[in-house]
Amino acid sequence: MENKNIALAQEAAYADELTQPVPQKRKINRAKLQENIWGWIFVSALVLGTTVFVYIAFILSLWISFTDYDAFIMTTFWEGLGSIHPDGFWHWYQYMFTAEGAYGVAGEMEDFWGTLGTTCFYLIGIPIGMVLSLGIAVLMTRDIKLSGTFRVIYYIPTVASTVSIAVMWTNLFGDGGFMATVFGINLLAAGTHPALQKMCVILLTVWKGLGGTVVLFVAGLNGVNASYHEAAEIDGANAWSIFWRITMPQLYPTIFYVLVTSVIGGMQIFIEPNLIFGNYPATGNMATSGTRDNIPFVGYIFGVFNNGEWAHASALGIILAIIIFLLTLIQFALDARRDKA
Amino acid sequence: MTDKILETMDEPVEENVLTEVPSGENAEAEKGGKFGNALRKAGKAVGRFFKNIPAYLRAALRTFCGWFGFGVFGGRSSKKRKKIFFDVIGYTLLTIGGITMLYPFWWMFAASLAGPTIGADGVTVTSNALQNMITTIFWPAATSNFGLFYNYQQAITLLNSAWQTVTIGGQAYAFWRSVINTLLYSLIPVTVGVFTSASAAFAFAKLDFKGKNFVFFYCLAAIMIPFPSIMIAQFCVYSSIGWTDNGLAMIVPGCFGAILTAFFIRQYLYGMPTAILEAARIDGAGYWRQFTSFVIPLAKPAIMAQFILSFMGSWNNYLAPQVFITEDMWKPLTLAIGQLDTSYGTDVTNAPSVMAASVLALLPILILFAIFQKTIIGSIMLTGSKE
Repeated sequence: MENKNIALAQEAAYADELTQPVPQKRKINRAKLQENIWGWIFVSALVLGTTVFVYIAFILSLWISFTDYDAFIMTTFWEGLGSIHPDGFWHWYQYMFTAEGAYGVAGEMEDFWGTLGTTCFYLIGIPIGMVLSLGIAVLMTRDIKLSGTFRVIYYIPTVASTVSIAVMWTNLFGDGGFMATVFGINLLAAGTHPALQKMCVILLTVWKGLGGTVVLFVAGLNGVNASYHEAAEIDGANAWSIFWRITMPQLYPTIFYVLVTSVIGGMQIFIEPNLIFGNYPATGNMATSGTRDNIPFVGYIFGVFNNGEWAHASALGIILAIIIFLLTLIQFALDARRDKA
Repeated sequence: MTDKILETMDEPVEENVLTEVPSGENAEAEKGGKFGNALRKAGKAVGRFFKNIPAYLRAALRTFCGWFGFGVFGGRSSKKRKKIFFDVIGYTLLTIGGITMLYPFWWMFAASLAGPTIGADGVTVTSNALQNMITTIFWPAATSNFGLFYNYQQAITLLNSAWQTVTIGGQAYAFWRSVINTLLYSLIPVTVGVFTSASAAFAFAKLDFKGKNFVFFYCLAAIMIPFPSIMIAQFCVYSSIGWTDNGLAMIVPGCFGAILTAFFIRQYLYGMPTAILEAARIDGAGYWRQFTSFVIPLAKPAIMAQFILSFMGSWNNYLAPQVFITEDMWKPLTLAIGQLDTSYGTDVTNAPSVMAASVLALLPILILFAIFQKTIIGSIMLTGSKE
């Protein structure tokens, strides 16, 4: 019955369309055409760069992860691309989850989950940094003098070269050094628990990332509509509830932006642990538990790459891309649910 | 001073306990549990304590808190005094934070001057440079015997010996070569890249062409792909066309611009009146002319800020050259420091030289930031308010 109705309606619509005069195809005038052409010319470099250096590179990376490309066996790139792995496409994706290691020291799976866990451990710095910088931003947006100067001072570590900072940090926290004598914090001494050693990197990322977040939060807080504050104050709300009920909801977009970008960046942490704790062991025999514990996931990819297992490293890279994509997706999904509620 | 602040900070909390204990008690009584019971007991004890406070102590507390502007025990609260009170707390915390931000830089500089001390016989140099360096608090226990800035010379010498193949006319110049490389890798791609990004931003913000939204999101989606997952494919291609031997791998990709740079300039251009461009168009200026003689001068602050930020990013880049550059001849400064750190970082005699090299790498960026801090922070603030 219903189907028939729909069919009838469709027919009627079709008939209607037929009876309507066909709109004359308008010629795009010259000016419009020129704007189109010039628009494409202006964006062409960016589009070309993005396509070649990101999208095609990603597809190639995916392709390489299916091959048996090994730097020490194959000489040319084309040879590597042509050699689909004899054990099947998914060899490297299965291999990274094998429990028995190639050298019998530690299985690939242990390294995979271990380094991934380390990366996630380093993410602890994000909430700490956000709470701290929110507090500092609130202090800065109060009606005080020198707030511009403070902003510049807090931003200095953010622009400083990470490599230099990491070298400095290693010595600042060195065994029996400044931090040990002044604050009694001896994180890098031999035999310290790996979790405590990792705190050293977390402190570095929090210290270094604080300025950027503070500046963003200050901008966000300045953008909060002042009239709401006044209205709430007249209604007799105290500072605490004004902050939670009025400031925070309006600051939410900034917080979300900072969270998403710092999770994406935090999953790719490499330089700080690499310079403080050293490289991923060059071969299985050189593995020492002390350093292996603190290697992040990108350090693992880099180590595998240095060992010449390019196909394996590519597969790990693809996994990292998927993890970051999923994390971002989860955050956006939570954001959407919050909007609905 | 600090003691006083701490003391006064406690006051409002105690006052809260007085008023909130009854409601908390009811809620906890329903829930029960060990922790709840303990809390209730503690709350009751505190409540009793405050109820039985002697009158003279109450008066004293009232005047004491009143002095800071808090109305406790029926005292009068004063807005002006409260503001002064919070100002003091704010300034103190911000100053402590500021010292935390700045002090490591001073420490870095002071530690880079540390050196070995001369032994008791006046000749023997004991190898305690590392110890002297890491125990620095405001000034190292001993600076270098061979002149204050000996470690800076030593850093250059060490790198020259680490990368022996980098010579010019038989003279090793690995350190200065790495500085030149860093400048090459940051100036060329950033200059060209910011220009191409600005042109794309102009098209995104002010032109109306078919497929604009698609192209924009196509480019924006690329930031989701992390660099570590594409670097191996990039390396394979670059090495097969020879870019890893001559530094082109670090120069060419950056010249195509970056979507984030384009995005920020686009945000800035949105705020620019279109009427100027329309007037120029009516006067017969082509799109290229509009871009070069109107958009670039008008969006100069945003372009400048993005230029400096990208420059800093390239200067501090570590992972990309680490993967792409295989020849010592073409390695940038960050890799030089990484090399020194892995070779001499724990070496008791040469450790301060590594620190000196890091100071050298840091200095140009800090100077640049000092000059352009207003533009840079303004640009970041703009991002923050737009998001």
